Amino acid sequence: MNLNATLLGQMIAFGLFVWFCWKFVWPPLLAAMDERAEKIEQGLKDSEESAKKILDAEEESKKMLAEAKKEAKKIMDNAKNQSEKIVEESKNKATEEKDRIVGSAQSEIEKEVVNAKKTLEKDFASSVMSAVKKIVAKEVSMSNYQDTVDKSLDDFRK
Amino acid sequence: MASESSGRTFQEYLEHHLQNLVYGPLPAGHERKFYAKGSDETTKEAYCQGKNLDYDGEKYCKETLTEDGWYLANNKTDVEAMGFWGLHIDTMFFSVLLGGLFLFIFARAAKSFSLDKPTKLQLFIEMMIDFINGVVKGTFKAAQNSLIAPMALTIFFWVLLMNVMDLVPVDLIPYPAELLGIPYLKVVPTTDLNLTAALALSVFILYLFYSIKSKGFVGFIKSISLHPFGPWMLPANLFIEIIDLIAKPLSLALRLYGNLYAGEMIFLLIAGMVSINLAELTFTGIGLNLAGITLSLIWAIFHILIVVLQAFIFMMLTVVYMNMAHEKFEQH
Repeated sequence: MNLNATLLGQMIAFGLFVWFCWKFVWPPLLAAMDERAEKIEQGLKDSEESAKKILDAEEESKKMLAEAKKEAKKIMDNAKNQSEKIVEESKNKATEEKDRIVGSAQSEIEKEVVNAKKTLEKDFASSVMSAVKKIVAKEVSMSNYQDTVDKSLDDFRK
Repeated sequence: MASESSGRTFQEYLEHHLQNLVYGPLPAGHERKFYAKGSDETTKEAYCQGKNLDYDGEKYCKETLTEDGWYLANNKTDVEAMGFWGLHIDTMFFSVLLGGLFLFIFARAAKSFSLDKPTKLQLFIEMMIDFINGVVKGTFKAAQNSLIAPMALTIFFWVLLMNVMDLVPVDLIPYPAELLGIPYLKVVPTTDLNLTAALALSVFILYLFYSIKSKGFVGFIKSISLHPFGPWMLPANLFIEIIDLIAKPLSLALRLYGNLYAGEMIFLLIAGMVSINLAELTFTGIGLNLAGITLSLIWAIFHILIVVLQAFIFMMLTVVYMNMAHEKFEQH
């Protein structure tokens, strides 16, 4: 076994092969594999993130629901209060109105009574006077009994 | 025996299988010999005359070259006459073919790389890249160098593919080739010291280059002269470190060559037990055949381990040496 020119030939071949692999085989393969690794990593990260987002959204919706319930309760309470207040108010108003109407009716009645009394008094006095006049004209002269008439009239008034 | 089908003794069969196909220059006056085919003297002589050659009266036809030229070596004397400029055509052909195959497959995979729909080949290649990358990252820590990983990949796969040629039955390719007129053919490039030495030498040159680059020339000289005993033992240091230095490519080249050469040799020896000569199919002949086939199978299965292991070791040591080369010199 002897060394010969094959040695040189093989060294050249080896150099070319290594150079080719170095330039055209290794870098694209490694780059592609790195890209794939990155993609997988990104995908995992994304899915994790979206899972977290879903959880967040669920929580958010729960919170919103609870708030809405609270709001609804508040609104309902308010409405109840409001209606109660309105009923109370209208009751009060009605009572007041009733009192007012009753009051005015009473005073009207009193006034009527006073008026009636006055008219009655007047009517009675004149009828008494005419009666007396008729009696007196028949019995005595008018002037002698004026004082007595006035006196009796005053008594009547009392 | 397998050798008899080609009219050789077992000794000649072995030698024939262990000889590379050499192409090189032969000087004028060199006497070339060709094996004379035929069963007796007259047919051999007729064979030689048919080729316009002289018959030497024993085994060969002879031809004396009248001018210098490049020829395919036909026997050992031709190879010796060619000297350094003989080129192992078979080693070159198979190694470049296999290296090209490796690069073709990987480059194509790189081009059609799909992130979403990987093919099985792509997955395999990704696995290999990951494996090599892991080895390099775990071993090569002294510096950043984008050459190391692709070089490790190239070495591993190239050497692996060349070693795998050892599992091809020993006569499967050389025998048909011989019928086609190719005198010698060794199909396992790694059983050629030239190839393993070329790899080791290339790695060694890179080792020296990166050593000097990272330590500086002075630093490199210091690292081989002030180490391991300190400046007052400089000659001893130099002696030890230079041996250490030279041992690197030498061990690298010889380990791979020795393992594969020995493996090939054992395949050849086992092949010697197997015969397709009907006259030999006696009881012992059949027994020998069966034993040979069984042994061949066992050795092939065991050899799968060696084939991968040697490729891995070569790659691993290369990475280790590169790491050593990139280390800064430190005074201990």
